[in-house]
Formats: sequence, structure tokens, C-alpha cells
Amino acid sequence: MSPPPRRPVARATLPQLGPRIARSGLILTLAFATIAAGAGYWQVLRAGELVARPDNPAVIAAARTVPRGTILDRNGATLASNRLGANDEPYRIYADRSLSGVLGYASLAFGSAGLERAYEAQLVGLLDPDPVRDLLRKFQARGADPQDLTTTLSLDLQKVAVELLGADRGAVVAIDPRTGDVLALASTPTFDANAVADPATSRVAFLALQGDPALPLLPRATQGRYVPGSVFKIVTAIAALGSGSVQAGTTFAQQPQAEVDGLLVQGFRVRDGHHPVTGDRALDFMSATEVSCNAWYALAGLETGGATLADYARRLGFEAPLPFDLPTAASQVTGNRGGPDGGFADRVELANAAYGQAETLVTPLQMALVAATVANGGVLMQPRLVTQFRGSTGVRSVEPITLRRVMDGGTAGTIRDAMVQAVEGRLGRAFTSGAAVPGVSTAGKSGTAELGGSGEPHSWFIGFAPADRPTIAIAVIVEQGGRGGERAAPLAGRFLQAYFASIE
Amino acid sequence: MTAANSLSGTVWSTLVRGVRAADARPRPRESLLLGLVAITLVVGSASLAATRTVRSLAPGNGSGAVGEGSAGTPALDLRLADPQGLVAFLAVVLAAHLLLILAGRRTDQVLLPTVALLGGISLLLMERLPAGLAGGSAGLAGTQLLWLTLSISAIAMIGTIVRGDAWLRLYKYSWAAGGIALLALTFVFGDDVNGQRLSLSVGPFSGQPSELLKVILVVFLAGYLAENRPLLEQESTRLGPIRLPPLPYLAPMAAMWAIALLVVVIQRDLGAALLFYAVFLFLLYVATARSSFVIAGSVLFVAGAGLMARLFGHVQTRIDIWLDPFADPSGAGYQVVQALEAFARGGLLGTGLGAGLPTVGGRLPIPAVHTDFPFAALGEELGLIGILAILGLYLVVIERGLRIAAAARDDFQALLATGLSLVVGVQAFIIAAGNLKLIPLTGITLPFISYGGSSLLANGVVIGLLLALSDREVRAPARPRAGGSRRRAPAASSARSG
Amino acid sequence: MDALVVSIWIVRIAFLVLLYVFLATVARVLLRDLRAAASERAVELGRLVTIDSPGSEPKTGSVFALDTVTTLGRDVNNTIVVDDSYASGEHAALTWRGRAWFLEDLGSTNGTFVNGGTIDGVQPLGFGDEIQVGRVRFRLERSSR
Repeated sequence: MSPPPRRPVARATLPQLGPRIARSGLILTLAFATIAAGAGYWQVLRAGELVARPDNPAVIAAARTVPRGTILDRNGATLASNRLGANDEPYRIYADRSLSGVLGYASLAFGSAGLERAYEAQLVGLLDPDPVRDLLRKFQARGADPQDLTTTLSLDLQKVAVELLGADRGAVVAIDPRTGDVLALASTPTFDANAVADPATSRVAFLALQGDPALPLLPRATQGRYVPGSVFKIVTAIAALGSGSVQAGTTFAQQPQAEVDGLLVQGFRVRDGHHPVTGDRALDFMSATEVSCNAWYALAGLETGGATLADYARRLGFEAPLPFDLPTAASQVTGNRGGPDGGFADRVELANAAYGQAETLVTPLQMALVAATVANGGVLMQPRLVTQFRGSTGVRSVEPITLRRVMDGGTAGTIRDAMVQAVEGRLGRAFTSGAAVPGVSTAGKSGTAELGGSGEPHSWFIGFAPADRPTIAIAVIVEQGGRGGERAAPLAGRFLQAYFASIE
Repeated sequence: MTAANSLSGTVWSTLVRGVRAADARPRPRESLLLGLVAITLVVGSASLAATRTVRSLAPGNGSGAVGEGSAGTPALDLRLADPQGLVAFLAVVLAAHLLLILAGRRTDQVLLPTVALLGGISLLLMERLPAGLAGGSAGLAGTQLLWLTLSISAIAMIGTIVRGDAWLRLYKYSWAAGGIALLALTFVFGDDVNGQRLSLSVGPFSGQPSELLKVILVVFLAGYLAENRPLLEQESTRLGPIRLPPLPYLAPMAAMWAIALLVVVIQRDLGAALLFYAVFLFLLYVATARSSFVIAGSVLFVAGAGLMARLFGHVQTRIDIWLDPFADPSGAGYQVVQALEAFARGGLLGTGLGAGLPTVGGRLPIPAVHTDFPFAALGEELGLIGILAILGLYLVVIERGLRIAAAARDDFQALLATGLSLVVGVQAFIIAAGNLKLIPLTGITLPFISYGGSSLLANGVVIGLLLALSDREVRAPARPRAGGSRRRAPAASSARSG
Repeated sequence: MDALVVSIWIVRIAFLVLLYVFLATVARVLLRDLRAAASERAVELGRLVTIDSPGSEPKTGSVFALDTVTTLGRDVNNTIVVDDSYASGEHAALTWRGRAWFLEDLGSTNGTFVNGGTIDGVQPLGFGDEIQVGRVRFRLERSSR
């Protein structure tokens, strides 16, 4: 016999395959269990949210046949209701043109937008707020139970805001800082949502709106992104004082000279707005805010550092869509070119961002939340539009949601005092006095967003009142409205007067 | 033509020889389960018909979820949707059952009923989908019934005829070569659909070769691994701290696998590539018990996927859609978002057969629902409870297959049965998990439910082979044995060295 | 609740229930099979213990569970490979026939021994018998189970 060609291996000593086959079966069973878990996740846990999506074909199909629920304001006034058209197909009518930027429209031919779209499933009644009833809905012949929505809006304030904006393009956002209730969410130019909803005029009206260069279909309050200018200084103040990098008494030695020939940062000269009244005096936080000193804020921003500034901005809601009933655009602090210090490309970008230029872009809603956070002692409430869903079988109320504490109450108080000073102080009056409401102490900050080129700057104001126990926070932007103190601040003042008149 | 005739003649005569009334052996469990299948399908068909009746009465013809009736119709009208189709299908299954009884073999009695139930559910789904989905104006159920008939016949015929495995075991390289040739043919002559070259047309017939290839791959891997198991398992090439199997023994297998994978990737059939790879790793583990192989293979897979994502735009797109389909819900992520919404509409109990998939302007929410998303459609219409039952049916197939493997008489049969059950199980997993956004979506069929002939036929062959293997008396080829007359041995002390 | 809708739902839920009835019936069948397989396995055939081996294969003390047919020899294709220069390629076969073990010499050069004596033809074995193939000695034992 020839020697074996390879080392003999005993087959009998090889382990049996059985256990391994069993193990493969176990792995596959576990894999199938994951599928079951995934199915449970989408079909039970996330089902409500998915079914409510406006692109759900069941919702689209239902919207054609079911009269939508009505939409009410905070005082019970009807904002949107139905009228029966040809073939008994219901269509929408809206109470006032000023609502177009927040309610949007619902049209059989062109779908829906705004709040009409966000709560499509509830309005056509495909989603019951009570899970048990939602399950039982299947056993009823008429499965759809359209729900009426009660909103936080005030129809009167909404009208005032649009009236005050007049022919200008812009936005007004008013929030109750204690609850996050949105009292007014106005965008101009407005459009005639009734014409879009009415099947007879729908097509002509919608195509005209789509082609309009003024972009009336853009809800500016939630999706318009603007250069903030000096109103952003409140964000810088929150980061600088909140992190302790800068104290209320901090002064910068190079600041007075910078007023004259600019502040040199890595070869770039930060130019200041003209405030000769302060002379050679080195400004502290209070007076720098009162006169809106760019040089002081640039230095404070550099002292704070980009990472801290970006972190505080994120805590205020920047860099992501806001949690809100309507879709929102994300506000940004930097151009996100991936610099190491909070994403800022260099110290020049950081210095300019600190007083609201550079790559900062914000939505009016976001800035209203900044003001509301200061007003609410440093606690950010989630903004909300809807407080109640009312169906034929029951009511579900939505409670206010606290998002987070952004800064401690002491810091918020310091910033509040500076914002009061900016509106009512001797020097501040020169900039922002128009916002003051007679008999009510008002806190605020105006902004003038330079856009480059020769056009007029955007006119900004954010603030709240009454300063000691705020019940309303506001953000106003008027596109190319000139200096903040000239257009936005007086507008805010008149709006606040109307508000205080209405609650008396 | 004559070759085909003689082949069919051979099959026929084998069948006749395999089936003698004298050998008939009752299959009580199969009869019981098939009876249950028939009752279940009749009730399902009645449910579909009832939903339809009510919807045709309902004004406005709104979606099922909105409401399905006017109060004017007092009583439920019990009838069946497409009774002829259902009866025809049940007759085919009954014929298969009788054939297996006449064959008189001790084969598995659970696989056929389970597969018949899956096929019947598929038939109900196809009956429920609108006509013209697969091109033309014909309904899907008719064609699907034809393919199901072929699939069930394949199960019964293979389960009756195949009594030895030599034709698979001894010709593994020929099978492998044939498979690769088939793929190459598809690559050269195949039909382009959406940038994928998946199907091959011969005359009036067209099919997807990758479905057939998966069976061939399993046969080859089982043959090769069984033959070389002792060496693969016990010897190793040391590469620093890593123990690899002896390279010369792994090479042909890796090459076979790489070629299959490469061609599949070139054809952009990612689902098949994923299926092949997963089955390969599973079988390698079962044959060698080395989890290091599986770990290394998984690492390689992730690296390969990353590389492919960089090289091929369509892979990156799939991954992006998977990570966040809601980023572009009306564009790239459309199908996945619509599938998830379908699952959500279903909820626990589902909308009922025929009451889901709301159409807008006559269009289905998911265009490829019959091939790639039947699981989502069933998730909507049967609910979580329904698809858990369907997952259960697949687990039954896997359990039976693996038990057949564990009881097999040798390594080849064990590995073959393991591979065949894994092919069905892993394929069902890939597409179900893809529908549910657990893994990136790949276009692959749901076994026995998706619309399509190649898939039904190939899976029929798989189940048929499992059935044949479940007969403990299935023959392995005789081991060549040295003959020679017996010799009287001298005493051990004077023995010659051997 | 609408009577018609409820009756439709009864049919729908009946379908879902029937799916589970099928699965439950399958589970019952599978469990019965499992029990049958378990009782079958209890009829254990036996095992072979290596009591003395000069070489490395098999090692002294190693234990082999026995199938109905177990072949012994130097060739790698044997169930039990006996790597001993006095063993033939195909040396001997152990077979379970009905209720007893039988040992058969397959024409080996040096013969097969039971309890020290060579065997002629097919020889019945009892548990405890000693088998010698080449220079390797085994003992046939009852399974521990």
C-alpha cells in the first residue's frame, strides 16, 4: 500500500453538523423577529404619525369627498370653514386674507399648504386622537370623523400685523413666552386663499400666485431666512453671559479706538455703526447693547468662542427645523464650512457673526423664540399653533411643552434689563424708541441687516412686554425697510399697543 | 425537439415507475393541513368579494379607510372572488397531494400545505390588484395561477421522482459552469429594464436567471463544502494571528462566488448579490463552524458595500434612501415612504383584503407592489397580525428544511438541505426587511407571493428538492470500494507491514 | 356600529384567525414529530472506546458513537480511520443488524481480532467485547444514555 497522500482525517471525529444547523436556524429566527419588531414599530408605534402625513394617498382620496373640519382662533372666531360647490363637493372659505401665510390653502386641484396641509389627516378625519376610538373607527360605516381645530391665533392681532406691514414684504411673529402660543404669524404679501380653494377660480388664481415674483406662497414667518443684523446680538449675549465668558461689567480696552478706525481681526476691519455720543468711554454690556456697539459684540463673540456661540444657538433652536406645527426652515449661525471652532471658517467670520452679519441666517419665528426665551426667564417653550382637536366623539387638548432651559434666570434678567435700556434708555431711544408702549415697560432690540450692494437694509425688531412680567414676545422683519429703528421698531410698538388694548 | 421529447419521455416513465398504486401511502397530516388551507383561502376569497361588493355600492368610491358602505345594503352577500381561479388552484394542490400519496414515499408532509397557503395568499393578492399592472390589459391572477401550477407541479414531481442525489453531487462543477454560462448569456443577450439586465428571453419565454442561479449556487456550495469539509475544518493557513482555511481548497469556491457576485453586481441585481453572499456565509459557517469566517465575511461585505457605494451611483442612492426616505418623499424616497405609509394604514388588524392601497386618480400608491412590495400590501390589508402569520409560514418552511438537514444521512445532503431552506428564508428576509426600511431596499421577490414565473418556479424546485431529501432513503452514490477476495490473515505477530 | 361593516369584519377576522389555526396545527404536527424523533434517539446503538493505540489516530481513550454501519481502516474514507501500519485500507466493518452488533473482516491483510482471536466471516458481538484492528484495540460499549 502506498503511503496516504495527505494526513488522514477521521470523518467520524468531525463534529456533527446538527448543532450548527440549529444555530443557523436560530439566527434566521432572530432575523425574522427583527422583521416582526420592525413591522410593529411602523404599524403601531409610528402609525399615527405616518397615516397623518399629507402625502398619504388615503388622506388625499378622503380630502376629495369629506368636508374638512373648521379652524377656529383662540377666542372661538372661525378662521376656515366649508361651502358646498357643484356636485356637492365641499370647498374651503377663509375668514380673512391676513391668514394666508399661516393657514395656507386647501384645494381639490392643487393640494394643500400651511396648517391645512400639516393637519390634513385630522381635518378630513382619518385620524382619531383617541387610539381606542381610532381602532373602532374601522367598524363604523362612516369611518371619517373630521375634527375642528382650535388654534392659538388671534384673528384681530393677525389682521393688525398684516395691516401694519402694509405694502411691504415681511413678517410679524407674536408669541406668548409662557406657553409658546403663537398669537400672530403674519407674512406679507398675503394672497387670496379663497380664490385658490374655490373650484371655479382655483386654476387661474393658483397659476398667477405661482408666477408672482413677490413669492406670496412663501410663508416668510416660518420659512423665510434673513440676515439678522443687530437682533442677533441677543443670541451672542445669551452665549457670552450664559457661558460666563463675558460678564455684564466686561469692557474691552481696544473698543473705543475701534469706533474711529475699525476693529482689526486677522487683517479684516470690523466697522462700527456711528455712535459718537459715547466718546472714548469703554462700554460694558449694558451700554454696548443700548447703543448696539458692533465692536463690543465682535470682541465678546471672539472671547466666547465659536463653539460656545454655536452651542447656545443650537439650544435656542438654530441649525435644525424647529419643532412646530408647520414646517420651518433651519436658522444658521455659520456657513457650515466645517471650521474647527463651532463650524466657523475663521475668526473674521466669528467676529462678524457675533453682531449678526457674516453667514448668519434666521427665520422670524426663530428670532421670536430668542426674545421669548429671554422673556420667560431663560426657558424655551415649544411654539404651538393648535390647542385642541374636537371630533364628533370627543376632544383632545394639547398641553404646552417645555423644550429646555437655555440659560439661568439671572442671565436672562441681565439681558432683559439691557433690552429695556435699548428701548427706553437715554441713548437707546435714538435707535429703538418707536417700540415703546405708553404705560408698559418694553424690552427690545432693533436690527439693521446690511445686504451688501446699494439696496435698503432689512429692518428688524425683537422684543417683549411688559418687561417685568412678559405676556408677549415679538419679532418683526420688514424686507428692505431701512434702519430697524425707523420701520420695524415703530411697527412693533403699534402692534404691542393693539395687543395691550385687546387684553384690557 | 427530439431531445425534449425524449427528456419528457424519461421524466414520464420515471414518474410512472415511481408511482404505483400498490406503494401508495396515506399522508394524513398533509391531508389535514391542506383541508385547513382550502378553508382559509375560501374565507379569504369571501372577504375580498364582500369588500368589493360594498365598495361598488358605496357612493364616490372612496378609499376603504374612509368608509365602505351606505346604510342601504342590509345583509352581507356571501360569494367568492374569482371562484374558478381558486378552485383551479385547490385542484392543482390536491393533484400534487394525490401524486405524493401514490409515490408512497416517507417525505415531509408540512412543506406542501405551507407553500400552498403562501401561494393561495399570493393568488388573492393578485386577484385584488388592478389589471394591467404587469403590462397589457390582463389581470395578474390568471398568469400567477399558471405559474403557481408549474411551481406546485415542480414540487410534486421532484418530490416523487428524485430518489438519489448523484446527479447533483457528482456534477457540481458542471452545474456551476452552467450557471455561470447562463448569467453570461443574460449579460450579453438579456433585456434591459430600468438599467438592469435581469431577464433573458428565449422565444416567447422570458425569465430571471438569477432565480435559477441561486439553486445552482447552493448545489455547488453544498457539494464542494461536503467534499472538502475535513480539510476546511481542521487545517489552516496561518497568516499572522489570523487562521485561514487552506487556501487551495477555498480558492475554487471563492472564485465561483466572486464570479457570481461580480456578474450580479454588473447586472445591478443587488438583491440577488445580497442573497448569494448571505447564503454563502451561512453555509461556510455550517460546514466549518468557524465564526471567524463569518466575521471576516461580514467585514468584507461592509467594506465592499462601501466601495460599491462610492463606485456606483445607484448603490449610494439606495443607501441614502434607506437612511432617510423622508428627505425626498415624492422623489427618490417615494416607494419606501409609500410602503411605510401602507404598513401604517394597516395597523394591527389591517384594512381587510381589497380595502387597502387607496388609489388617487386611479393610480396605485406603490407602482411595483406586485413584485417588490407585496409584503407592504399584505401589511396594509392583513395588518400586523396578518403579516406575523405570514412570517410564521416562512419560519415553518425554514424549520422543516433545517430539520431535514439535521436528519440527513451525510454532509452533502445536510448542507444541501440547509442551503435550500436558507435560500427561501434569507430571500424572504431581505425583501420583507427592505419593505420595512430595516435594510436598504433591493429588488428581489418574496418567495411564493411575488408576481413572477422565474421566482415561483425556482422556489418550487427548492421545495421539491427539500421534499426529496426528507425521504431518509434517498440514495447517496455508492462509495467506490476496493474489491478482492477475502484472505485468511496470519497471526498478528507475523503480519506484514501493511 | 354598522351591521354590514361588522359582518364584513367578521369574515376578515375569520381569515386572520384561520391563518393562525393553520400555524397552530403545523406546530402540533411538528411537536409530535419532535417527540417521536426524541424517543427514536433513545434507542442508542452503542459506542466504541479506544483502549490502546500506538499511533496518533485514533488516540487512546477516544470514543466513537456508532452508526448502523461503521467501517474501520487506514483509508480516509472510513468512518473510523485507523492510522496504523498493520491496518489495511478497508479493514473491517461493524454493523447493527436488528438487535445485535456484527463484526466483519473486509479482507484485511492482517485480520481482525475479537477478544484475542481472529474472526472468520461475520461474527456477532456483545457489549464489552474487545476488537483489534492492526495494533489498535477497541472495546464495544453500551451507550451511556
